[in-house]
Amino acid sequence: MTVTDPRRTGDIEAALAHGPNGPEVNAKVPHHMDGWLRVPAERYHSREFFELEKEKLWPHVWQMAAREEEIPNPGDFVEYEIVGQSLLIVRQHDGSVKALHNACRHRATELGSGCGRFPGGQIVCPFHGWRWKIDGSISHVFGREGFAEETVRPEDIALREAKCDTWGGHVWVNLDLDAPPLLEALFPAANILQRNGVQRMRAKWWKETILNCNWKLAQEAFFEGWHVKQTHPQLYTYKDGPDNETNLQNTVYTPFVNGHGRFQSGDAKEGYGGKPDFLQAARLNWAGQDAMTLERDITVFESVAGDMDTSDPAYVAKAFDALYKFWEGAGIPAPDRTPEVLKMWGGDIHMFPNYLMLPMYANALCYRVRPYNDDPDWCRFEVWSLTTYPEKEERGRLELSGRFDKDDADHWGLIPRQDFANLERMQRGIKNRSLTEIRLSEKWEVTIANMHQELDRRLAARS
Amino acid sequence: MPRVRILPAGAEFEVGEGEAVAEAAWRHGHVWPTQCWGQADCMTCFTRIVDGELCALPAEREELDAVRAKMSPRFRSDPLVRLACRLRCQGDGLVLEKQGFRAAEPAESGGAD
Repeated sequence: MTVTDPRRTGDIEAALAHGPNGPEVNAKVPHHMDGWLRVPAERYHSREFFELEKEKLWPHVWQMAAREEEIPNPGDFVEYEIVGQSLLIVRQHDGSVKALHNACRHRATELGSGCGRFPGGQIVCPFHGWRWKIDGSISHVFGREGFAEETVRPEDIALREAKCDTWGGHVWVNLDLDAPPLLEALFPAANILQRNGVQRMRAKWWKETILNCNWKLAQEAFFEGWHVKQTHPQLYTYKDGPDNETNLQNTVYTPFVNGHGRFQSGDAKEGYGGKPDFLQAARLNWAGQDAMTLERDITVFESVAGDMDTSDPAYVAKAFDALYKFWEGAGIPAPDRTPEVLKMWGGDIHMFPNYLMLPMYANALCYRVRPYNDDPDWCRFEVWSLTTYPEKEERGRLELSGRFDKDDADHWGLIPRQDFANLERMQRGIKNRSLTEIRLSEKWEVTIANMHQELDRRLAARS
Repeated sequence: MPRVRILPAGAEFEVGEGEAVAEAAWRHGHVWPTQCWGQADCMTCFTRIVDGELCALPAEREELDAVRAKMSPRFRSDPLVRLACRLRCQGDGLVLEKQGFRAAEPAESGGAD
């Protein structure tokens, strides 16, 4: 299924998170949240808490497992690993996708690694040569005559499946076969993103880094735009001078049900139109991360700049006119030019538990953060730059560009390098004996608390 | 689409754009010997080019590495010996030798599964 239920689009703004959890949740969770203003430090480094996440969160939550363009053709596969559990995400002959547990039913050898193809439609165990079709049904038991009948019943030795569905150009999986439907779990985050056209986007590039930082602490650095002034001073192009602490982006933070969160511009003005120098900000955004704003957009914006004052709102309107005209001429399907769509440009959606999308124009920047190497202190941090290509353009198969060191200036722009530098300092600080908790702004950081409240509900659940 | 001819069986079949010869054979329902089914691992699918060498696209890194690491020494340095699960081709002139290749019975040409 790739279409969000349209009946629910009208319900988005009403889908606000409920209040803090009560004792029925808190009593069951060590280091639980207590209200919205503080997060106990142990949640970011304790082994006990990490093991509880492995038991109660990851095996029961819908998670983004792959981009669809990683597996364009039948037989293509990509491996998805979460806290030591490996799945093979395999494109089927009918175009659907299955998630198969990556373990031989004989003696447990992992059947696939990384990404690749199963040509001939056969998944083969490298140990003894047992073989499955790409739908997981057994096609050949090597040495079958040596096995008792009861140990090789076809239904017992078929590869086990996880729940698997697609939305927004991504493949999602849930190891819990009793999980609710995907779009129910993604509401209302998916509905908002769908309005901005993320389902039409494809990856321009995809990279990853390994960080000495807990997965939650790492992703929370991207839950607010409030850090921009200090962490990314080069992006701060307001003319009011460095002393003004007022956030002129007028950003509004909204905690939603299901643990999702959003920040976006707080009125109907056109996206980043509040910046004194729109064109300069756009150039810095492109040069600093090659995502959200791409070279293509800069060329369009420059094409109407002429002698105009690029901080004049009239210029911004003209720049957006040019962008929509460019999309039309290039055959690029455009998002609707509505206040709801434009407010989201430069904003951010967190999809519980660990995926973020930042849509802008016909582009988006995405982050996925997973625990790494069974260690609460480490995470695997992935970044995608998405854009919308002309409808008939063939892009080929997407592969990870590579794993790059967090301060590799040849592969990471200045903006992510500045963020990554903070993250490892945060992880060291969070273990400092002088603090037992961190404190949150009720205005700028409420979606962080919301994520933790949802996490506690998951950790308190019985299954 | 390019065509290949397989000796000594004498069969011919079409290979899709970007498709490897062994994968095409399996798609047509032919038997092309393998144990790993296209993972460039078992070397069982190896084949010798007997004619039309220019129709064979050059081996890429993955094939070269696999052959160097895993192929029997007798074939390892023969540039005419290729992995059929990685061998792509163009035009209609490629002729390959593969012992153990068996063309599909007409009834079973629906594919490997």
